[in-house]
Amino acid sequence: MAGFSELIKNFDKTRDYVRDFFIYGCKVRSDFGRKSIRTYGDEKRRAESWMSEYMRYDDSVRGRSVSISVDSGHISENPLYNAYYSRSFTDNDIRLHFLITDVLHDGQKRTLKDITDLLNTDYGQLFDEQTVRNKLKEYTDEGIIISEKQGKTLYYSLSQDDAECYFNDLAGFDEAMQFFSETQHFGIIGNSILKMLGRKNELFFIKHNYIIHTLEDILLPELLAAMDEKRYVSFRTFSAKRRNEGDVLGTENQVVPMKILVSVQTGRRYLAAYIPGLNRFTAFRLDYMKTAKKGSVYEDYDSLKAKFDRNMSRCFGVSFGMRRETGTVTPMKIVFFADEKKEPYIIERLEREKRCCTLERTGENLYTLTADVFDPNELMHWAKTFIGRIVRIEGGADSVRERFCSDIARMNRMYGGDENEHIQ
Amino acid sequence: MNIFSEIYGTYFRIAAKLLEKEVTDDKTVRDTVQREGFRDSVLFLPQKLIPGDEDWGLFSRTSDGKLKRITNYPPVKVLTKLQKMWLKAKLADPRIRLFMDDDTISELEKRLGDVSPLYSREHFGFTDRFSDSDDYLSSSYIKHFRMVLEAVKKRKILYIDFVSGHGRRMGGKFVLLKLEYSPKNDKFRAYCYLLKNDRIKSSGIINIGRITNIIDTGRTFRTPVSMEEYFLSRKCSSPAVIRVTPARNGVERFMLEFASYEKHTVRDLVSGEYTVELWYDEQDETELLIRLLSFGPVIEIMGPPHLRQMAKERIQRQAELIGKYRKEN
Repeated sequence: MAGFSELIKNFDKTRDYVRDFFIYGCKVRSDFGRKSIRTYGDEKRRAESWMSEYMRYDDSVRGRSVSISVDSGHISENPLYNAYYSRSFTDNDIRLHFLITDVLHDGQKRTLKDITDLLNTDYGQLFDEQTVRNKLKEYTDEGIIISEKQGKTLYYSLSQDDAECYFNDLAGFDEAMQFFSETQHFGIIGNSILKMLGRKNELFFIKHNYIIHTLEDILLPELLAAMDEKRYVSFRTFSAKRRNEGDVLGTENQVVPMKILVSVQTGRRYLAAYIPGLNRFTAFRLDYMKTAKKGSVYEDYDSLKAKFDRNMSRCFGVSFGMRRETGTVTPMKIVFFADEKKEPYIIERLEREKRCCTLERTGENLYTLTADVFDPNELMHWAKTFIGRIVRIEGGADSVRERFCSDIARMNRMYGGDENEHIQ
Repeated sequence: MNIFSEIYGTYFRIAAKLLEKEVTDDKTVRDTVQREGFRDSVLFLPQKLIPGDEDWGLFSRTSDGKLKRITNYPPVKVLTKLQKMWLKAKLADPRIRLFMDDDTISELEKRLGDVSPLYSREHFGFTDRFSDSDDYLSSSYIKHFRMVLEAVKKRKILYIDFVSGHGRRMGGKFVLLKLEYSPKNDKFRAYCYLLKNDRIKSSGIINIGRITNIIDTGRTFRTPVSMEEYFLSRKCSSPAVIRVTPARNGVERFMLEFASYEKHTVRDLVSGEYTVELWYDEQDETELLIRLLSFGPVIEIMGPPHLRQMAKERIQRQAELIGKYRKEN
């Protein structure tokens, strides 16, 4: 595998592969039909190198399948952060990084010429002024170097924000870093602070932990900036099916971004946005999205945002859709049975999980949930967690109620009810 | 300004670590790369650090064969603008008060100056988070949290009174191992062992929000404790075995939703169905069961028998309820 490098330039490509290894768990080389054998081999080797202790291999007639198997509730550091720590760079990048910061270590302000001369005289490294200027500009943007104009000359000095001082001076900072480095949002940034100082999280585990979300964080700064600046944002979307079919172009979207919606139960995150061409709100999955780029200002953003907030109050999950298609207007009512004496925890569950719906006691041991939501389908996925307690469903869409009843009939047969569908 | 930047990268970090000492040697370079790098870094990185044909020129060879850094000082470790913006955003998170008092938060705020926050809470919405989250602003909650955190760090033995999930008042001496946070519940819990006569009696989990009183016994638990043993003591004896069908995009939905579990997957080439073994904490069995049921007939619980039986009973009860409702109407 000549020319292999652990480091990468293109985060998106790696993101696809890591996601497939992680999510599906039993993909073999031939499942990644979209790329060459070389690409598959390189991506697999990188994933192995970053996450060796979590890789799992299974041999089958189709070949060796590769997966990443992590009990993410029982790990102290997200192994997928390694993807971010693998950016490739040039020899000059690393030389200038350590040499420029060394030149400025004494706290003195220096001009470009001073710095370039010192690199030559004190370190024996010849750089042209343009190369050094570019690096100084880049590090000024990163906040590592401070630039200050005196007259017509720019002076450069090192930032005095020593990370170690934050840990030493601020009681509780260390523990806060350990916690926030493994939680949303942008835990990777907290982890980069800990790593810089050779520290690590030794206190916290995260339950219901969707570590894959970190790979989507690469998109977020641009989406958040577009929201703050009230701009359009454009991006391409690639569903899993289309990616596997070799669709490298995806679908181009231009939308007005409203909010990032996080599902802590399904493992999905979305960009909720307005599509001007269709005059509707919709939610785009972040894991299907690539190359977000903010565009021009959307003039009427504030009133659109107010409308979005109103609509959100009728979203059970992320769908703004079904009513428009079915024309349904009746709120859905689901009556649940819960033994008030023996099962108060069921009533507590209904209360804490009801989201935008209302719950009222409508009889002895009976509780009615009223859902005036855009998409009753989303509600039913949740309602099925109460299988065995649903006394009645009214309103909503006929198709949704019928599907629930037919699903229960199928499940009853499947699990050996009236008719045994699978088990002999 | 991007977190996907070499300045945060593993290679830069290893180089910085080696540049901390004025003089080092080839073995230390290789050992450090082996320890701190990716699995294959040892094949690529040492030759970039050790003087030779390919090196970056960060070290020179001394007459006694050692490696001397070309820099004058240990590398600086300053916070970048992105890291400060992230810290600024955390100042608006109520959970930061669990760790820092008001004066410390003010000091942090002062240090961050006019840096803009990387994000605001309004940028994000949680669609399905439970509504009974812990009260991070309650002074008694903060007090209990800090006592628990301190006990975790120092392996202190605490006497704790709390209310169990079923409403029973409980109390006892505990050694606390780690803290757990769930974004779904927005709650903290502590992994612990209940002690009787200073010996481990059983493993448990205590919700910080359910603690009513804590007394520091002033003693520490000196027996070494392994988290692996703790997790093992709570793990199911046999995994849940689930058949997942491709209908209604079931495979993708299932795999993503259960991505946080340790699992093993096998695909049937003919049917396109997947068989997934999921390992879970026994205490979370009901939570697992109801989540599995929410997938309807797209999946089937094949085992273990008691899990399948529980599913069967709930489904039969539901089928009866539907039948009864249809008769009445």
